Amino acid sequence: MPKYNFAERLMVQARKEDKVELFFKEIWRLNDWLNKNSELKRDIDSTEIEGSRKWSILKESIRPELDGEVLRQFFVIDESTPFEYTPSNLSHDFINNYYKDHGVSLGQVYSVNELDDKTLIELQKTFSDLLKYDVVFENIIDKDLIGGVKVIVGDHIWDGTYKAKVDRLKRNLKAVNEEYDKDTVASSVLNNINSYTKTQVIQRSYEKMGVVQSVSDGIVNITGLNNAMAGELLNIDDHMAMVMDLKEHEVAAILLENTTEVSKGSNAFLTKKVMEVPVGDNLLGRVVDALGNPIDGKGVIHNDGFRPIEMEAPGIIDRESVNEPLETGIKMIDSMIPIGKGQRELIIGDRQTGKTAIAIDTIINQRGKNVKCIYVAIGQKNSTVAQIIEKLESNKALSYTTIVVASASDSPALQYIAPYSGTTMGEYWMNNGEDVLIIYDDLSKHAIAYRTISLLLRRPPGREAYPGDIFYLHSRLLERSGKLCKERGNGSLTALPIIETQAGDISAYIPTNVISITDGQIFLQTDLFNSGIRPAIDYGLSVSRVGGSAQYKAIRKVASSLKLELSQYQEVLSFSKFGSDLDTSTRNIISHGQHLTELLKQPQYQPMSMEDMCVLLFANSKGVIDQVPIDRMREFGKGLLQEMHNSHLELIHSIRDKKEIELTTADNMDVAIKEYLKQFKEGY
Amino acid sequence: MLNTGEVVQIVGPVIDVRFNEQIPKIYNAIEIPFEERKIVCEVEQDIGDNKVRCIALSQTNGLKRGMKAIDTGKAIEVPVGKEVLGRMFNLMGDPIDGRQEIPEEVKRDIIHKKAPSFDQQKTEVQILETGIKVIDLLCPYIKGGKIGLFGGAGVGKTVLMQELIHSIATEHNGLSVVAGVGERTREGNDLYYEMKDSGVLEKTVLVYGQMNESPGARMRVALSALTMAEYFRDEDKQDVLLFIDNIYRFSQAGSEVSALLGRMPSAVGYQPTLASEMGELQERITSTKNGSITSVQAIYVPADDLTDPASATVFSHLDAKTVLDRKIASSGIYPAVDPLQSSSRALEPNIVGEEHYQVAQEVISILQKYNELQDIIAILGVDELSEQDKIVVNRARRIRNFLSQPFIIAEKFSGYIGKYVPVKDTVRSFKAILDGKYDEYPETAFLFDGAIEDVDEKVKGINRD
Repeated sequence: MPKYNFAERLMVQARKEDKVELFFKEIWRLNDWLNKNSELKRDIDSTEIEGSRKWSILKESIRPELDGEVLRQFFVIDESTPFEYTPSNLSHDFINNYYKDHGVSLGQVYSVNELDDKTLIELQKTFSDLLKYDVVFENIIDKDLIGGVKVIVGDHIWDGTYKAKVDRLKRNLKAVNEEYDKDTVASSVLNNINSYTKTQVIQRSYEKMGVVQSVSDGIVNITGLNNAMAGELLNIDDHMAMVMDLKEHEVAAILLENTTEVSKGSNAFLTKKVMEVPVGDNLLGRVVDALGNPIDGKGVIHNDGFRPIEMEAPGIIDRESVNEPLETGIKMIDSMIPIGKGQRELIIGDRQTGKTAIAIDTIINQRGKNVKCIYVAIGQKNSTVAQIIEKLESNKALSYTTIVVASASDSPALQYIAPYSGTTMGEYWMNNGEDVLIIYDDLSKHAIAYRTISLLLRRPPGREAYPGDIFYLHSRLLERSGKLCKERGNGSLTALPIIETQAGDISAYIPTNVISITDGQIFLQTDLFNSGIRPAIDYGLSVSRVGGSAQYKAIRKVASSLKLELSQYQEVLSFSKFGSDLDTSTRNIISHGQHLTELLKQPQYQPMSMEDMCVLLFANSKGVIDQVPIDRMREFGKGLLQEMHNSHLELIHSIRDKKEIELTTADNMDVAIKEYLKQFKEGY
Repeated sequence: MLNTGEVVQIVGPVIDVRFNEQIPKIYNAIEIPFEERKIVCEVEQDIGDNKVRCIALSQTNGLKRGMKAIDTGKAIEVPVGKEVLGRMFNLMGDPIDGRQEIPEEVKRDIIHKKAPSFDQQKTEVQILETGIKVIDLLCPYIKGGKIGLFGGAGVGKTVLMQELIHSIATEHNGLSVVAGVGERTREGNDLYYEMKDSGVLEKTVLVYGQMNESPGARMRVALSALTMAEYFRDEDKQDVLLFIDNIYRFSQAGSEVSALLGRMPSAVGYQPTLASEMGELQERITSTKNGSITSVQAIYVPADDLTDPASATVFSHLDAKTVLDRKIASSGIYPAVDPLQSSSRALEPNIVGEEHYQVAQEVISILQKYNELQDIIAILGVDELSEQDKIVVNRARRIRNFLSQPFIIAEKFSGYIGKYVPVKDTVRSFKAILDGKYDEYPETAFLFDGAIEDVDEKVKGINRD
């Protein structure tokens, strides 16, 4: 039986006896007593004290003022209610029902001392005017409030108590401590104390706040908070939460930390901010969490301000087409799958195929190229991230890189917002006309975190249990990358998202979603990785849709036929597997393919400059490499570059400066390479 | 007096508004003034208790309950007529090309309309030449018909679509309307400048609601573009080309908000109204006795699964379908059209002519045969085939390569000069290969070229050297 029915039964009884007013008067008095005597209330509501004992307690303390008959009826009904439904609930519900019938709302005034009738009537008048409907208040005494009053009417809460002020002061102090030095702390304390003494009048002192109604798996339901914005940051007993849904009588928020301290009755406060993170050059060389707080123990970050994490992507007319290369320093990529500044190129492959290695090498290769880098780690082991940071540091790449970490142990909410936070930091530089590279490692874990949140918010699951807006999750993130037009400062944000596949299946849901957003993909294969081809790039399935027009002429000249040469090799290889005797042309294709594959291999942390790449690929286009035994290819490549740097530096410089292989350079290089080949051959 | 309500609930892009005086009609546009701008919503449901449930057409971050909402009293309207040519719009009909505003006096039309009635339908069938060999030969397009381009992610739908825009719009010399539905913003930028440079822009309208925009915008942008196309057809009595890239995103956007609108999910989490929503849209894209709308629609296939409910729903509305395949794409043949899966209602002797029909059938059957033999080759090798089968394999591989074609639009990154091949040249070329006249030429010579004469010249050129 629903709880309110007990109160209704009491009302029915009262109507039957035609004593509604008497019942109301008596029960209101009982309720008043209970509100003002917390010890008495505790005894009456206790489940351990028997009914007869309660009866005698009441008799002793308030009986003289009350009519025995009404109270008897009251307790007859109360006897049949379940334990958790206490007499004070019953009396409260009865009064509430009574007022509802009269079209009046029942509100509560919490205070330390009893308020006199005059004050109560004044309050009722003030709030009736403010809310545009009639309000009657019951006065509840709570010694913990220290001073001041708290008013609750329906979903509205005004908290002018000193306890709330002290709490607020505590919060501000904590925030202040984190951000500023001592002088500011002192002035902030003064400010707060000033406002503390000034706030006497109720209307001026109210603070919009809410009360937590339920907490489960990081999702918090809160009543109150009428002024909350969609996406606003909340403070719930010093824990951060983000507003997800604004329902008619409730707010659903998601906790940003894993905590057990938030529970029913916790107070939630508006921060009047949509989620935002700090931006600025001082973030470079630092490791921050998804909210932009430093976690590397190197102290405070003096930022250039805050920006919201969700921003609209640049529109069609704000952009220009990708026209400048972003050098990764990886031979296979720069030659066959070139990436341009402002492009989104997906790195996709199974576990342990070198996805992160490509991303890290690309960051390392940006040294001295005036590109700022951001590495966003989502749902990874903290130890892995620490190793990556160590690698960047030892390769002198940390000074121009910001690391944003939402590790596997962080809440799904932090993992969900981390890529948006990183993008906001990058956008700030892009809008200032700079070039930025951002890496999301990885978006599969991001999708999983978002799925967790969606399912907990009870949104219905679709394909692979992901929610309907899983595509929008990634599309609105990746669309924020791009190349801005001249009027917008010509900045660029290049994105290299990473997706982990299962058993090489790139046609699964999340991989195809992200492929349909990005401007191409680099596909890494376990088979290639295991057969020693590293980076293990499957050039058949890897494409770059826009990078081609951004490639340097020098590279394009020597690399344009590579993909064709390799795909011919692959095709012939599979076709000739069973045939016994091969003709010469087929054998040549196979031999060339093997040499080329060997030439394109590259160890980790050794990005190559554009001009060196040109030399090696030039050697390939002249058919020189086919004359070197396969097992000595590596030695040959290394030796050739050394020789060129030692004796033909002008050729290297010419390519480097002009980004083009001029005819005379080509001729001279041809001679030099052939000369070296002769020497090399004589050497063994 | 303005009919004003109050926002009472905000869940993602879905907003509930309470109107105490007059409840707005379904599809009415509601404006919520917010900071310096206004957020426009469209009424989708009347949920009782004086409340309507709306979909916001832009992001809702920062909105609060209790904000004022104004009923505009009518559905979303977009400008139509000659003034829109050469311009780029968002779904609300506001120009986004940075040029002057559309003047007040330009006629505007609401985007929700009924499909033309049964007796208005046109029945005549005429072929539309595209200049793309594989399409003209195997799945010819119909003037005034509906064409679907199916393909998973990254197999080249958009490139093929852009080539079609380029070739048909230039050759056909008519008006075109391009709707960008939930695709990349970068592509919008590329296409806009490309059209500007090639001079087609003056006869084109572009309407964009790209993938960074809210689901509401992506759900309605196709209707905005269609409304402009319909006006050209009905009022100006013209033949119009309507390109939609990508119609799948229309259904996808619907599924993003469906659950929040309080509907039960249907198969694979899609909205229960999937088929009816698509039907309402597709039935408006039709040719009437006044004029025609030829539409080419790209259809994304999620997870490469052709049975996906959203993609499958589109099938029944199409006159011709071109299916792009990942395996073909990865073997380096572009356009990666799967010749055995693609089909057209127009591939009949009395429409395309006897010769064309015969050649197409033979090409399909030889490719089918090759497909069957591939398993045997994989196990035993080519040498173990009978002489007859070896010829089939050889010819099929040449035909397969010859089905590739260099695109004008892709010249920049492929390095090949684009080629437009008229249908009669296409039919003649394939006939010659089927007749075995070119069995001696190397396979690779057939890759990325126009008519058979080009191949001939290339091989002779190599031989001369």
